[in-house]
Amino acid sequence: MAISVFRFAPKTWGAADDLEAVAPIPLPSMANPTVILSGLMVIFLLLFVTVGPSLWRQSPSQQWLSQISEGASRARSVRIVSDNGAWRPSKKADAPSGLKVHAANTEYVRLQWPKLAGIERYRVYRGDANKPGLGLAISETADSYYQDRLQLSSEVYRYTIADADTGLLLLSREVRPEAAMSVFEAQLQGLIPVTNNKTQWVEIPGHPLGTDALGRDILARLMAGGRTSLFVGVVAPLLFITFGCIFGAIAGLMGGWVDQLAMRFVDFVVALPFLLFMILFRVAFGIGPGENGIMPLIVAMLVLSWPGSARLIRGQVLALRSQPFVEASRIAGVSTSRIILRHMLPNVLPMILVAFSFAIPQAIFTEAFLSFIGMGVSPPTTSWGALCNEGIKTLLSHPRQLILPAIFISLSVLAFNILGDALRDATDRRSGVVRA
Amino acid sequence: MLSFIARRLLSGVITIWFIATATFFAMHAVPGDPLTQEKAMSPAVRAQLEARYGLDKPLFEQYRLFMSNMLHGDFGISFTQENRRVNDIISKHFPISATLGIAAVLIALVGGVAAGSVAAYCRNRWPDRLVMVAVIAAISVPGFVIAGLAQLVIVAMNNAAGKTLLPVAGWGSVSQIWVPALVLGLGTMAYLSRIMRASMLEVLSADYNIAAKAKGVHGWRLFWHHQLRNAVLPVVTELGPTIAAITTGGFVVELIFAIPGLGRYFVQAVQQLDYTVIMGTTVFYGAFLVLVVVLVDISYGLIDPRIRLHRGRA
Amino acid sequence: MSLLKLTSLQVSIGPVKAVRDVSLNLEAGECRALVGESGCGKSVTAMTLLGLMPNAAKISAEEWWFAGRDMTQIKEREWRQLQGNQIAMIFQNPMTALDPTQTIGAQIAEPLRIHKGLSRREAKMRAIALLERLAIANPAQRAEQYPFEFSGGMLQRAMIAMAVVCEPELLIADEPTTALDVTVQAEVLSLLQEMRESSGTAMLFITHDLGVVAEIADSVSVMYAGQTVESGSLHDVFSREAHPYTQALKRAVPSLENPKPLEAIAGTPPDLRQPPSGCGFAARCSKRMAICEESPPLMSCGEDHLARCWLWHKDHPERWREAEAVSLLGGKS
Repeated sequence: MAISVFRFAPKTWGAADDLEAVAPIPLPSMANPTVILSGLMVIFLLLFVTVGPSLWRQSPSQQWLSQISEGASRARSVRIVSDNGAWRPSKKADAPSGLKVHAANTEYVRLQWPKLAGIERYRVYRGDANKPGLGLAISETADSYYQDRLQLSSEVYRYTIADADTGLLLLSREVRPEAAMSVFEAQLQGLIPVTNNKTQWVEIPGHPLGTDALGRDILARLMAGGRTSLFVGVVAPLLFITFGCIFGAIAGLMGGWVDQLAMRFVDFVVALPFLLFMILFRVAFGIGPGENGIMPLIVAMLVLSWPGSARLIRGQVLALRSQPFVEASRIAGVSTSRIILRHMLPNVLPMILVAFSFAIPQAIFTEAFLSFIGMGVSPPTTSWGALCNEGIKTLLSHPRQLILPAIFISLSVLAFNILGDALRDATDRRSGVVRA
Repeated sequence: MLSFIARRLLSGVITIWFIATATFFAMHAVPGDPLTQEKAMSPAVRAQLEARYGLDKPLFEQYRLFMSNMLHGDFGISFTQENRRVNDIISKHFPISATLGIAAVLIALVGGVAAGSVAAYCRNRWPDRLVMVAVIAAISVPGFVIAGLAQLVIVAMNNAAGKTLLPVAGWGSVSQIWVPALVLGLGTMAYLSRIMRASMLEVLSADYNIAAKAKGVHGWRLFWHHQLRNAVLPVVTELGPTIAAITTGGFVVELIFAIPGLGRYFVQAVQQLDYTVIMGTTVFYGAFLVLVVVLVDISYGLIDPRIRLHRGRA
Repeated sequence: MSLLKLTSLQVSIGPVKAVRDVSLNLEAGECRALVGESGCGKSVTAMTLLGLMPNAAKISAEEWWFAGRDMTQIKEREWRQLQGNQIAMIFQNPMTALDPTQTIGAQIAEPLRIHKGLSRREAKMRAIALLERLAIANPAQRAEQYPFEFSGGMLQRAMIAMAVVCEPELLIADEPTTALDVTVQAEVLSLLQEMRESSGTAMLFITHDLGVVAEIADSVSVMYAGQTVESGSLHDVFSREAHPYTQALKRAVPSLENPKPLEAIAGTPPDLRQPPSGCGFAARCSKRMAICEESPPLMSCGEDHLARCWLWHKDHPERWREAEAVSLLGGKS
């Protein structure tokens, strides 16, 4: 029997045979909803820090002494009250029959109560009217009156007077202080002229996200801080990737000992612990008076971060140099500069873009970390990281002050990361890219 | 293999030298003389420092002195804490940072490998989705924010329970170790579980995995002998950067959780411009991280026979 | 009773009906070749026979007996005792089918450790002995090496050792020589044959290489589009091919003795996501009839020779004429 040796032409027309092989993960195309959302997020953040301040015209450094660590508030008019310091009820006034409120505004609450026989000292409690319990013991006094000036806000308080010795509860009353501002502060903020203290009411702007521990508008600070964070996050990568590309391209194109030497140098810079040296350089540069600390930050990042892109580009250039189409052009007498421009650049550009989009969140993180430990920008310039640094001090009482800037950092990092992923997948699928 | 280790060690030593040199010159680039800063300093400390570093001597002589002091393990005296030697600060506080760091690395490694494996096993089902969402969240949130939020949660939990379930800060008890260690390791854990998931997916579809099943290898034996050993290799290569990230991440976690580790002292020294402490700890940390990377390289060679044998013979 | 009896196996993976109707019969010690082009369901059949299909796959069979067991009723635990012990498999590409992080010796010894409960040392001794039988020099030293230190041919020998170490009753070889150099192929084939004969193992040899089939197989099953379309002895299938697909295949094979221009088979195999309701080959068949719109069952066309084609139905005019001729001749042909 004659049977000749033969094989079927191998045909792969169905996936049935490779069933254990994992189907390729569907790559996020550039038109994926997540990617679009991230793109919109980036646009929103950029608008927020650029156009935002002209729409929201509060100064990020204006301190409202009357509104320390307040929650969200609207624009409203407040009463101007003269702040006289100590207060005692006038002798003429009759002793009240119950707990009497002489005045109640956010600058002060003045209480008077009848002297009761047999009680030497009174204790004054202040609590939230909506919660059970007495609240905070704010004072002990032998007098039958008290002025409360402790961080008042426009909510309903319950004041309770008790016998300090026995703890016996005597009198109680709910009080809602009226929004007010001292003459001193109103003059300081330029709301009323220094000479005029007859104005009764004044309009003050609201704070949609509340105020920080120094009474500054958080929304305005987020805009100002974001400007710094995104500026560093975009400019620093732009600089160090440009430098790294030039360095890598020169090493790759020159080849030989120049290349060897350049790459040994790159190895050393890569081996330096990044954040440690960021801190060290930041200390070394120092900050002179009146400087905001952004430039030293960018320079330090430039010095430490360029080797990654240098390695990438050198590898690409070396790979491309031996590609047939480049060799063919060279044989055909095309000039080196033309080869670089026409053949190399279009092939490495997508990779540079991908590296850039991944460097942005990295840079934002680095800036945030340094500012958080106080080694980033210096006041009055602020950044999201610096805002977090301030916010963590009031974390337990006002978590909002940490969480708000943290959300902005996280959203921007997330959005840039997703865009970078999508960009990488898109360029990976391009057939023109040479794998190093 | 021996020549490979020797080469890695040599390049490590050169890098440490480079770090020390860079530190020295960076500190000398500080505007003005480090000793004439506005920082209050007693004349005694000043005199000692001038004598030790010969600040009046030419730059090269100072550099020679600095290097020889470093070689002898002498990092000088703190500027701000009188009579405290930098060596003492390091030897007293580094063990605390190391304990925290090792705990964090272990948590990140075990958690990352486990979460990544589970995600790969349950590919495209809810455990996978859950892990991936958690990973994205943990990667996008800075470590100091995670630490702050963790404190908030602990406080809220303690308030709700009416007693101290978990300590909010401090150092000493077991839960004062694992809570900050978890916070510290979380970001890295997320990063590692993403790598682990990808490599485990590759292993699960690999021929040798099916071949092992065909031999009747199943369950834990299959996971342990065939899948884990192969899938964990890319995770091990990330161990160097992981330890570096956890070391620097430790700076803020120690600060926030009030842990008396070296990281906190380093940050405080940086904020107070305590130059000798900055120099000493930078060189110390730099040397530590370089050594870690070298050790990880060597251990990678030990795990992967391809590298172990090839490099050994080369 | 035969070692493996499989009737009308169907496997679908998601939308793909990878195996639509496969029937196989293997006697103890028999070597049956399973022939067909890529994607016709050979490997899925092999994986199913080994119980290695993912849980998502839907498997059903009219009858499925292996070594006296009803495999349609078998539990996961029992499968594990069969795998590597009574049924073993040799994979196509030894370069990827061996675990890169384990020594060759450990991998060969593993089935012994699991199924025979041997100690590490004993299992290793057996593995080394087996490597020696497979003509590997310095087996003790080689057993300590890792897959990347072996050449392709050596790896496939290690793979064979791994499969036969528990002396299984059925050995499934999925294109074991395709990934190897031509010079090594013959060597591996003869070793495989030797191992099989010495232990009396039955073998299901999956290939698309007809030359290899002629060398090693006793009987042949031809698969097309998820169905066995013809099965019979080597001689029956190769010289009295009954199914038009087998016939077309033969015309596509170059022959030294009978040099004719090769004929490619026109058209492409059907999409198994939407398999045709009738005969799968009808669209490409030169002898297509009206009845081919209906799916043909396997029909006898000789002793132990089956073909899935209406041409062999007893009502087909040619069968009648044959029957007449037989009756005219008065008995045997």
